[in-house]
Amino acid sequence: MGKSVYYQGGTLVLRDVDAQERPPAPFKLIRERWRCEGYHYGTIQSYLQEQDVRDSVPRWQPLNLEMQEAREAHDYQVAALAAWDMAGQRGSIVLPTGAGKTFVAIQAINLVNRSTIVVAPTIDLLHQWYARLVNAFGSEVGVYYSSEKKILPLTVTTYHSAGDLIAEYGNAFKLIIFDEVHHLPAPSWGEAALMAPAPLRLGLTATYPEEHEQTNGRWRVDDLVGPIVYTKRIEDLVGQQLAHYRTQRLRVDLTNEERSHYEADHSIYISFVRSRQLQRSHGSGWLMELMRLSAIDQQARRALLARQRLLQLLASCEGKFTALEALLREYIAERVLIFTEHNAVVYDIACRHLVPAITHESSAAERKHILDGFQAGHYRVIVTSRVLNEGVDVPEAKVAIVLGGTSGAREYIQRLGRVLRKVENRQAVLYEVIVRRTIEESKSQRRRTWQEGD
Amino acid sequence: MLTADLVRPRLRLRGAELSIDMLDEHSPAWLQTAKELIALLQEHVGQPLAIWDGALESYVGERIDYVVVRGLAKVLTDAATFMPLETPLPPVQLRERLFAHGPVFATPQLFQPRARYEVMQSVAGELGISSQEMEAALFADRPATYLLKDAGFEWTEEALLARYNLELARGVLYWASHITIEVSSNYKDLWRYIKFFKLMFWAKPKQGGGYRIDLDGPISPFVSSTLRYGRQMAAFLPALLLCERWQLLAQVRPPQARGEMTYRLDSTCSLRSFFKSSGLFDSRLEADFASEFEQKMGGKRGHWRLARESEVLLLGDTVMIPDFILTDDRDENRKIMIELVGFWHPQYLRRKIEKVRAANCASLLLLVYNGLNVTEEAFQGVASEVIFFQNKPVLKEVLERIETMAERLYGPRRKKTRVSEKRRKAKRKRGGDIADETTGER
Repeated sequence: MGKSVYYQGGTLVLRDVDAQERPPAPFKLIRERWRCEGYHYGTIQSYLQEQDVRDSVPRWQPLNLEMQEAREAHDYQVAALAAWDMAGQRGSIVLPTGAGKTFVAIQAINLVNRSTIVVAPTIDLLHQWYARLVNAFGSEVGVYYSSEKKILPLTVTTYHSAGDLIAEYGNAFKLIIFDEVHHLPAPSWGEAALMAPAPLRLGLTATYPEEHEQTNGRWRVDDLVGPIVYTKRIEDLVGQQLAHYRTQRLRVDLTNEERSHYEADHSIYISFVRSRQLQRSHGSGWLMELMRLSAIDQQARRALLARQRLLQLLASCEGKFTALEALLREYIAERVLIFTEHNAVVYDIACRHLVPAITHESSAAERKHILDGFQAGHYRVIVTSRVLNEGVDVPEAKVAIVLGGTSGAREYIQRLGRVLRKVENRQAVLYEVIVRRTIEESKSQRRRTWQEGD
Repeated sequence: MLTADLVRPRLRLRGAELSIDMLDEHSPAWLQTAKELIALLQEHVGQPLAIWDGALESYVGERIDYVVVRGLAKVLTDAATFMPLETPLPPVQLRERLFAHGPVFATPQLFQPRARYEVMQSVAGELGISSQEMEAALFADRPATYLLKDAGFEWTEEALLARYNLELARGVLYWASHITIEVSSNYKDLWRYIKFFKLMFWAKPKQGGGYRIDLDGPISPFVSSTLRYGRQMAAFLPALLLCERWQLLAQVRPPQARGEMTYRLDSTCSLRSFFKSSGLFDSRLEADFASEFEQKMGGKRGHWRLARESEVLLLGDTVMIPDFILTDDRDENRKIMIELVGFWHPQYLRRKIEKVRAANCASLLLLVYNGLNVTEEAFQGVASEVIFFQNKPVLKEVLERIETMAERLYGPRRKKTRVSEKRRKAKRKRGGDIADETTGER
């Protein structure tokens, strides 16, 4: 048998090439065989041809998709795609947030028309990519992450799961797209890019890493994806949409029974934290310290349990449900988004009011179905525990209700504030429901002072 | 498998050495806890996962050793089976139908004149099921609502503590970038599992027998200390425990450690495998050959000793383990290996021939079933010898070939000497191993 090259778990391995032969630089003689990382696949092509090495790496296939995307491309999107194409279908496109990076990627997939893998930073973004790709091509799209693993010629994954997917099926994809490509210098994030043999690569970001942030000592983003092929700055884009919403805080009371439970647990918890001066000695790491102590100190354990009980009580106290019900009645004709951090509470609300829920348990398909249904008016309310990050399309809602006080809820408000866009010239309202005379109120007070001083 | 939060607090770091705070498997207190947990799980057969989780939290209560208790419970639940409730329609379809009517309230409203129960009743009616059925089915696809079908395993307290300790050791290997093992038995299972878990190995024979094996993955040489293969190494550990004498040295980076740590384990530890050792014989053909050999040539009837899969031929990134090794009882350097090539799939056969060719081994005798559609040409240029057989290998023919092979490879067989004769007789008197008296002079 003659010489050949094959794909093995993120590496390219030469078969029947002697130790004395000198294949080009990326190959190293390791365990009696010449091996190199998958991403060199493009650059070793000339060697393979010159030396007549049989190439058994590619397992990719034509996509034969039909674009159903109705949106018209902006001039800069057309230019970005052309630049990437000119650069040999490798490299990164830098566009500001909200400038339609996904749209450019869809055009690139359509142009290449071969099996493609999209790598997204979070599961929420994976779900969004999934929905966009299904809509763009009207075909089935694979998803590969912790709770769903279905591989198709067009598949979306997360940086976290990409390594496993690439190790096993890396050579099934000719194009690899890195969303938020600036994450690649992180060791565990870049590994998949290093392993993938896909010769065609597209990086997308609003903030390309500076020269010194590019490398982690092991690889540079430019080497893994190719150089920047197109940049558009935020100043260059006109018609920036501004957030148009107001925040309304609603304070509710605990019932007498809830109050007595709350006070009892609060005193157990707070007296321990104070007596040990945890906040003073450990600063922001005080909660970690409490958790550590709870495995060796009975008092600490009681304090931690008391804290858990009171958080649970605050999350599902009657007052919040009553307030929520009142708001749902008030806005009976509006599209309403409800957020709470607690999964159990999400399903409780879903059951009580018969409204769809989105949590980390929801599959990509159901999530898409719910968001589409919400947009189309089939569903009027969504209850969710997912923090919808920047870059995730938040459905157009007139009203958002955050059952909160906790850190996740605060994060949610800040993020939602940035993404809640003006809907048909009407101002959106964001209700924050917190419990009076509890830690929720003091937290929310703190946040306010912090914001004002900011 | 245990989650990181259940393993981490049980690790002890001393310098660059890492050890695990394992449970004393004979501690009455832990045996009691194990017993109570096993009983608690049994009580929850038929109940949803969420109820079991709640019961477990109540059981743990204010105990400060909750990391261990939860760990033990995790071992139990991992072995148990939770199944979704069977529903008349897929829950996702029910939700789609039902939620189109939301939001609803307990009482009728101006814009929502139908209360929750009315909506439930009418949609259930449209679907031909009862509203109770619909209520139960609504989120029946959520893991929290899955029902505990059976506890999976007849746990004893001792077995639970032992398995927990094993899972802690596996847990450490989640953070392993590289492991080195030394073994001197049970290669067949070992290699089977190394392949099964898709690990890369590099083996070297050790002086005095056995092998030193480095285990990592394809990308490891390019990305120093990647933790990508930790999960596979953790999964592999029970296979190593099947061996009799072994040592393991792992390079690990648990989150609380600054740099790389070393974790050591060897066959003196009390861990036990729950993997099954493969049976003695892979096929009827092998078993028959071995028993016919014992019957006709065993004991004093022949001068060849038959051993099973005790040699490994290292072939770079793979190995070949011949089925049998025949050793001359007068000279243990006189060895012939036998590989039975039985009723195999053509694909498998092709790989086998590739391996045999790569092994380039003159002391290997292949017994090939000739119904395989494989001709002598397929073995052209192979250093090993081949005998084709019809139904089963003919022992007489095999033995004759072995003698000629041995003669060719090792020269004529050593004659009995007087000294050795005397020694052997002396040995027999002492009741030691019975030496073969009949061989040599035929």
